[in-house]
Amino acid sequence: MSEAKIKSNNLNVFYGDKQALFDVNLDLNEKEVTALIGPSGCGKSTFIRCINRMNDVIDICKVTGNIEIDGVEINDENLDVVSLRERVGMVFQKPNPFPKSIYDNISYGPKIHGKGETKSELDEIVERSLKKAALWEEVKDRLDEPGTGLSGGQQQRLCIARAISVNPEVILMDEPCSALDPIATAKIEELIDELKKTYTIVIVTHSMAQAVRVSQKTGFFHLGKLIEVGKTEKIFKNPDNKMTQDYITGRFG
Amino acid sequence: MTKEQRLKKRHAAEKRFRLYGLTSILVALVFVLILVNNIFSKGSSAFMKTVINVEVFFDPELIEIENGAPEENIREADFYDITIETLLKAYPAKNLDEENELIDLFTTDAEIEIKKAFLENNNLIGKKINLEITASDDIDQLHKGNYPRNLPEDRRRISNFQLKIYDNLLKNNKINKNFNNYFFNNGDSRDPELAGIGGALVGSFYSIIICLLLAFPVAVLASIYLEEFAPKNKITDFIEININNLAAVPSIVYGLLALQILLATIQLPRSTPLVAGITLALMTLPRIIIPCRASLKAVPPSIREGALAVGASKFQSVFHHVVPLSLPGTLSGTIIGLAQALGETAPLILIGMVAFVVDIPSTPIDPSSSLPVQVYLWSESAERGFVEKTSATIMMLLSFLIVMNFIAVYLRQKFEKRWN
Repeated sequence: MSEAKIKSNNLNVFYGDKQALFDVNLDLNEKEVTALIGPSGCGKSTFIRCINRMNDVIDICKVTGNIEIDGVEINDENLDVVSLRERVGMVFQKPNPFPKSIYDNISYGPKIHGKGETKSELDEIVERSLKKAALWEEVKDRLDEPGTGLSGGQQQRLCIARAISVNPEVILMDEPCSALDPIATAKIEELIDELKKTYTIVIVTHSMAQAVRVSQKTGFFHLGKLIEVGKTEKIFKNPDNKMTQDYITGRFG
Repeated sequence: MTKEQRLKKRHAAEKRFRLYGLTSILVALVFVLILVNNIFSKGSSAFMKTVINVEVFFDPELIEIENGAPEENIREADFYDITIETLLKAYPAKNLDEENELIDLFTTDAEIEIKKAFLENNNLIGKKINLEITASDDIDQLHKGNYPRNLPEDRRRISNFQLKIYDNLLKNNKINKNFNNYFFNNGDSRDPELAGIGGALVGSFYSIIICLLLAFPVAVLASIYLEEFAPKNKITDFIEININNLAAVPSIVYGLLALQILLATIQLPRSTPLVAGITLALMTLPRIIIPCRASLKAVPPSIREGALAVGASKFQSVFHHVVPLSLPGTLSGTIIGLAQALGETAPLILIGMVAFVVDIPSTPIDPSSSLPVQVYLWSESAERGFVEKTSATIMMLLSFLIVMNFIAVYLRQKFEKRWN
């Protein structure tokens, strides 16, 4: 059993008057994949967007409670979100490569963090990131072509490579396969399996099968509350909660 | 109603709608054609001028300078006598009245034209050359067929004698049409054959450049701040509403504002491109901010999130990603705003640009005219020659606007990046 990398404690999130998360206490283990499942609008995405403070972008969003990464409180006004997001990367539901070349897509992050001082250093980072994202073989001859010209699955792997490029500790994935076909999905899942050796991964998914395939730990959210959390095997074979049971067997949601 | 009847009705409705649409497009096209045809048929002749071929003899007795004299001396020399001599040779005149009528066939600048020919070719003393002297406005219009010659003499500006000379010159191939360089090089003039849009062109150019320099940076920074950084609250809502309102304020109001503040209070020089540029900048500012904000808004939020997620700061995500992506829209919005400013007349009239300015401005603080105001000025003039000048100026103005709009479209299509 690995250590808890991220701990949330009584996390509440409000969008204006509407409360989206209620007292969520969830620990995420290091170098493990945690899947978050639940019906639409249950707060899964809201939860992972708290981990890299992406909710800051939304004016009306207010977050109370604590989230610690390696024992350091991150839900703190004085915390520098830039260095937080350097440590916690994110991959979105819809592939969102920058409308720039493949090379520039990957090198952007290292550049702004001063990680690639010289061209050769950057080249190395780009190659390493693309290799880790299992995209290198497909694009190595056309690094100067626009990233938006790739297929959907390739674009999503490009976005994963972009997240990896700054060498984060945690990668958040918000339904990374929902816009992809089954073959592309399979590739991403394989990739996730590989990536968990290096990174702590949190994945939001609507597919039970995917949660079973890729995760070691699963959390079930419903109406903003964390209903049940545990080892993936246990959640899917023998959940404690009736609601979890109903959801995974497809009786609602 | 049966299913078939419903189907028939639906098809008929669609057909009717297509017909309405087609009709309105045709009506619009007809109006545009009428407008363009009207302007072109009236204005195209202004690009040519009528010239009369005369023989100039540089009689050493009439000009008191020698070959190779320094340029200043020639400029100061009196060419009046030689000019009169030359013009009178064009046709035999019997008395002083006839001589005056003969001289009236030529432009009042005939002396300057002869002097210029002499200057260009500095050893003409004692020689004879053939020179094309610009004809007066009346002859110019007569030659272009804009002047009715079958009116009784007392209702014509051209006398019977002058008509006789004209016919004679025409028969001897002494009358030609040349490219009208005066129209582009000269400032305004009371004589239509000498009047040009040179001053107005330069004035408009200075005004637009000043307008661009003032309005563009302010508008772009204001839109970026409002769209990306400003908190969304009542104050920014209020600002947004007011920007939209300001864009709709009639331009003459900006003219009044400039009159009070720039001319009366700050006492900037009146009738100058500087004041015009500032006034136009005030007017154009909200008109640029609106498309700039729209193009910033059109950049998908996923790009911002993508940048933020790799650890870009807010500033970096905006200036590395959002602003470059919004640039095509920003630029085309700016150019269209400037094109509007270029055609603006009312505020310029209020700040005194409607003055009669002969000289071409050499700096933005010289009194000047501008293209639309020149159109307004000439459209009020009584002389027939100004009718074609008015239309020709409109043609120039329209072609500038078309070119600017074309550039705007080109920039947008060339640099617009597509995202999924």
